[in-house]
Amino acid sequence: MRRLSSSSSGQGFRLLARLAFLAAAASLSAQQTPESATSLSREVKDVFERCAKAVVKIEATDQHGELSGTGFFVDPTGTLYTAYSVGGEAENVTVEFKGKKYPARQLLADLRSGIAMLKVDLASPALPIGNSDQLEIATPVVAIGYPLDLAETPSFGMIAGFDRKCFGGYFPTKHLRVNLPPQRGEGGAPLLNLKGEVVGILLYTFENNSCYALPIEAAEKIRSDFVRFGEARHGWVGANVTEATTPVEGSRAVTKDIMKDTPAAESGMKSGDVVLQIGRTTVHEPEDILDASFFLTAGDVVPITVMRGNEKLTFNVQADFHPVTRDLPRLPGMPPGGLIAAPPLSNRAIPLNLQSVPERTP
Amino acid sequence: MDEFNDNEITKLLRLKRYEQPSPGYFENFLHEFHRRQRDELLRQPFWRICVDRARDFALSFNLSTLTSYPAAVTAVLVCAAVISLRIYQAPQPATVAAKDRPALVVPASSEPEWTLASPVATRVFNTRSLRNIKESAQTHRSGTPRYVLDSVPVSYETTFKF
Repeated sequence: MRRLSSSSSGQGFRLLARLAFLAAAASLSAQQTPESATSLSREVKDVFERCAKAVVKIEATDQHGELSGTGFFVDPTGTLYTAYSVGGEAENVTVEFKGKKYPARQLLADLRSGIAMLKVDLASPALPIGNSDQLEIATPVVAIGYPLDLAETPSFGMIAGFDRKCFGGYFPTKHLRVNLPPQRGEGGAPLLNLKGEVVGILLYTFENNSCYALPIEAAEKIRSDFVRFGEARHGWVGANVTEATTPVEGSRAVTKDIMKDTPAAESGMKSGDVVLQIGRTTVHEPEDILDASFFLTAGDVVPITVMRGNEKLTFNVQADFHPVTRDLPRLPGMPPGGLIAAPPLSNRAIPLNLQSVPERTP
Repeated sequence: MDEFNDNEITKLLRLKRYEQPSPGYFENFLHEFHRRQRDELLRQPFWRICVDRARDFALSFNLSTLTSYPAAVTAVLVCAAVISLRIYQAPQPATVAAKDRPALVVPASSEPEWTLASPVATRVFNTRSLRNIKESAQTHRSGTPRYVLDSVPVSYETTFKF
């Protein structure tokens, strides 16, 4: 009887302890939810207040008429990023900054990446550049744009995916799929992490509450090309890749054919080589080629590691101009279609014309 | 008041103390009051008396109950009449606008054309605007700009080339 009574009292104590624990957990979660929501709201508000002053409304005209979009400053000398559809083929571009309109000129328009760079001759705040590689699924992000004829507007969302393929075609490089409600006029808006750093550029809407953004590294590659050469220099070595039936050294990307008189052919690459690495990009699938290809710069030497039979080979290949950009007009002093080892003398990058001390936003 | 001094007033007050109403005054008071009231009423004009009688007669019935149903029915009929008139007249402005427009646009060549009147290029078939270039430009400038956010990428990669 004593044992029975002691065991029943022990069970009662355990039950009471469990109930007390559940009640405490429930009350704790009930207290934490509003606090975390308030904290997140405060962070978004902080990002908006710090970064909105570097986001501008862009107005221009193109063959279809007047257009309106968004852009943002990335350096203190008035250089700004926007979407190709906003500043790529437009004229009479004006930038609305601090309530005034300034004329802007086009520095660069890159159809492959879908962005354009504009320049306004004034000292400007600038958004800091972040790292999109640190983003994960469900990472919260904020976009600041000028929807319709409204004032600067924040949109809050999260990273939904990293896609290379959509709308039946392949992006030139991995794009960020973001679940936030974009509105017309927000093309070219910055996508920011909660530190207030730019991690992408809003380019395309996708369904109703999703959109695609170009990772900021891709835009910075284009800007780097512009600073070095005065233009975007997409590189190309001249190899076509297809999917292998069986992976070799973890890669299914096998060269289908090597084009004649291309850097790949001259370096000794052959069809049937399984591509393992291009520069810093490790290749597992043929789609990985897209990222690696986008970050090639014409004129730069890139190490390409392949598997030929049981032998691992590394070729140092000097990339040529990508066929997309090969036929584009060159700046004075550049040979058409040729390789340029050194930056040209006529570099149009960032003419300094500061009117006051530049301001760094965050 | 100046003619009386205090002594005379005191005498009068003493005399008032002994004044008494005539015998039967209080018994006939109510009868006398009603008689005088009737006399006063009979001095009013005849039409006013008729109005007062009619009002008293009407107020003896519950008028609110009697009038609520007809009032409600009348209100419903008025609303129905107004709504039906509006519905019937609605197509008229569209007809008028359609009649006015041909003054600006006339049929022209069978070639399809592109107009800049809309922010997004809109294909308009078999019509030619009579406005000159300056008027067209002014119309366009005052219109809404195209707010840019693409729904498809501006370029695609065709194959896995590098």
